[in-house]
Amino acid sequence: MIRKPYNLSFALANTAAVLSALYIAFALDLERPYWAMFTVFIIAKPISGAVRSKAFYRFLGTLGGATIALLLVPPLVQAPVLLSLAISGWVGVCLYFSLLDRTPRSYVFMLAGYTAAIIGFSVVDKPEAVFDTMVARLEEISLGIVCTAIAHSVLFPQNIAAKLNERIERTINASAAWIADALRGPPHRTDARAYQALAQVVTELHVLYTHVAFETSEIPRSAGIMRALLDRLTVLAAHLMSVQEALVALREQAPLRPPFMRFINDASRWARTISDPSRSTARRNNVLPPRFESSDNLTDGQSLLEQASASRLATLMKTLAESRVLASALRDPTPQLPSDLQREVALSGRRSLHRDRGLAVLSGCAATGACLIACALWIGLSWPEGGVAAQFAAIGGSLPATLDKPSKVLRAAVLGILMALPVGAIYVFAIFPKIDGFESLALVLAPALLLFSLMQTSEKLEGAALTLAIAFSGALALQPTYQANFASFVNSNTAQIVGLLVANATMIIFRTIDPLWNAVRISRAGWRAVSQLATRETVDIQGWSLQMFDRLGLVMSRLRDEDLPQAVAGHIDPLRDLRVGLNLAALQRAESGFPMSVRAALRRVQTDVSSTYDRYATGQHSPARDFRASIDEGIRSLATQSPSAGRRDGLTALTLLRLDLAPSARPYVPEAVAA
Amino acid sequence: MIGEAVIDGVFIPRVLIVLLLAFAVSLLIRRVLRSFNLYRFIWHAGLFDTALFFALAWLITEATVGVTSYGIAN
Repeated sequence: MIRKPYNLSFALANTAAVLSALYIAFALDLERPYWAMFTVFIIAKPISGAVRSKAFYRFLGTLGGATIALLLVPPLVQAPVLLSLAISGWVGVCLYFSLLDRTPRSYVFMLAGYTAAIIGFSVVDKPEAVFDTMVARLEEISLGIVCTAIAHSVLFPQNIAAKLNERIERTINASAAWIADALRGPPHRTDARAYQALAQVVTELHVLYTHVAFETSEIPRSAGIMRALLDRLTVLAAHLMSVQEALVALREQAPLRPPFMRFINDASRWARTISDPSRSTARRNNVLPPRFESSDNLTDGQSLLEQASASRLATLMKTLAESRVLASALRDPTPQLPSDLQREVALSGRRSLHRDRGLAVLSGCAATGACLIACALWIGLSWPEGGVAAQFAAIGGSLPATLDKPSKVLRAAVLGILMALPVGAIYVFAIFPKIDGFESLALVLAPALLLFSLMQTSEKLEGAALTLAIAFSGALALQPTYQANFASFVNSNTAQIVGLLVANATMIIFRTIDPLWNAVRISRAGWRAVSQLATRETVDIQGWSLQMFDRLGLVMSRLRDEDLPQAVAGHIDPLRDLRVGLNLAALQRAESGFPMSVRAALRRVQTDVSSTYDRYATGQHSPARDFRASIDEGIRSLATQSPSAGRRDGLTALTLLRLDLAPSARPYVPEAVAA
Repeated sequence: MIGEAVIDGVFIPRVLIVLLLAFAVSLLIRRVLRSFNLYRFIWHAGLFDTALFFALAWLITEATVGVTSYGIAN
């Protein structure tokens, strides 16, 4: 992900951050310098924007959690059970809100939750110290944050823009090449994986772009451009699939007519040109897509299909061409965009990803449960270090909650602590007694710090490095004066492990999720969303599409290849749902100019789609009524209208909807011929 | 710079106020510079931003050195 020489420079910058944080903490005689030390590791990322955003969110979260601890502890400290309930409940509630937001911002809520636990549970035996502990934690965390943010913005900063732009460029080229190939042949099974990859890229770009607001100042902030670009990448796959389906249906009926054949070949060649990275960007931005002049004589099924695929292919090519223009604008915003794009970019609008409320509630309850069990052990056994166990149960219940299998991470964390402990013990009991002063401390710590920082640059070792570094900092528990006490060293570290094991147990019980089951859940949310779109409860089609496409990535990544046939049998086909939605939206846009009778026919189609998707969502996998009849009725009533852009769009939408929802049905036959 | 401000009976280190003020002003200046696309003349934006912040903090400290209005105790 990052080129090699930067690994070492990152490690050097990070070590400098840790040592400066420690130095300042010692110089100011702060209470627990190791809090500053591990904050550095927590927010260190190889990209300066990510460091600064995490720094900001960590500060906010700590402030929120500390404030809550300050409010809860003094009134409830005499009633340990109530206090445990209150803090555990707060941890769960915060985790719930954090899981609803899948961008880096979610860290604020999660941290607010377990910071309250960390501060609250550590002061129960001396409640008068709650304010001091809160201030100390805020001071130390801010110190760590500031040192890391400065070190990673001044020493060899890596900005995110280069990485994002390269990613976008690659995605657009790959999509163009893929379109060029797809136009020449039938759809493949393996295409599903390509859609999944595209969906994951879109979700990732959406998430990563939050960091740009925190980048060093030379990076242009162009949230509007990014949003417009993602809106386009979101619909590429759906449009392509629509065109492919229409082509398949056409070829089944009869060989393609020569002018149409030529158009398809031109389009494929055009996409190939766009995808070719050896040509200059300016030249690729300026190649015009081919056009297809169709007759407006749309009476037979073949002309309808031809018209539908040509007009959808034109949309696809326009989308692709605009993506290229937007991607260039993202790199260099100085040249003026075309006026329609400029207008779109200037609009304000927020997009959000798929939210899973049910799973968020479950995770919140699991975290609260873990915390409560640890508190019960603490109170029931009168265990002096039980507070540490409760803190770690809260942390262990919160941090890995975004994953399908959180217990894997927790086991790794326990392992990390076990590995860091001996190293920490060597430092505390063998090395520290021999040294004196900050310079020698810096020297003896440097190798370990460099090693952990270097490990953080590798994607595979990142998690392990973080666990090791935090456990190591905690084990050292560096304080202004050297005080080694073997009993308390073992006690507090055992408590950490117990806390994590409690969290692990609750996670195994409550949060072991079958990926297939989760895929069905996510699909169900998608089906409800389609139904809402059909009944016009949702009107923002771009925001809707991003959520649907995000769901596609989530669903497909949970389905293994061997699950696919079963999934399709259960009507899980997120790309079809997205296509249906886009066609519905096109239909709704087109219908306004027509007389009541036509609109009524089109409304009937939408009601049928909505009730069918409602049935899917309740587990019935049969259409509510015969779609074909209502769609054909809609086509017939539209075809009687005089030719217009609205009629063409409406017919295109209906024809494609028919292919999506009733793929095996016989081709559309106009009444006159059928009779 | 040394000393504490008293806001409604709460002592707040004066340096904290200075630093927060400097940070707010630096955010403003950075936004203005960015909107005129002036960062293309700056070699190392991260270093520039950090230096800007410290320069502002110094300026504000110097400018307010005599301020001992109500509530600020030296």
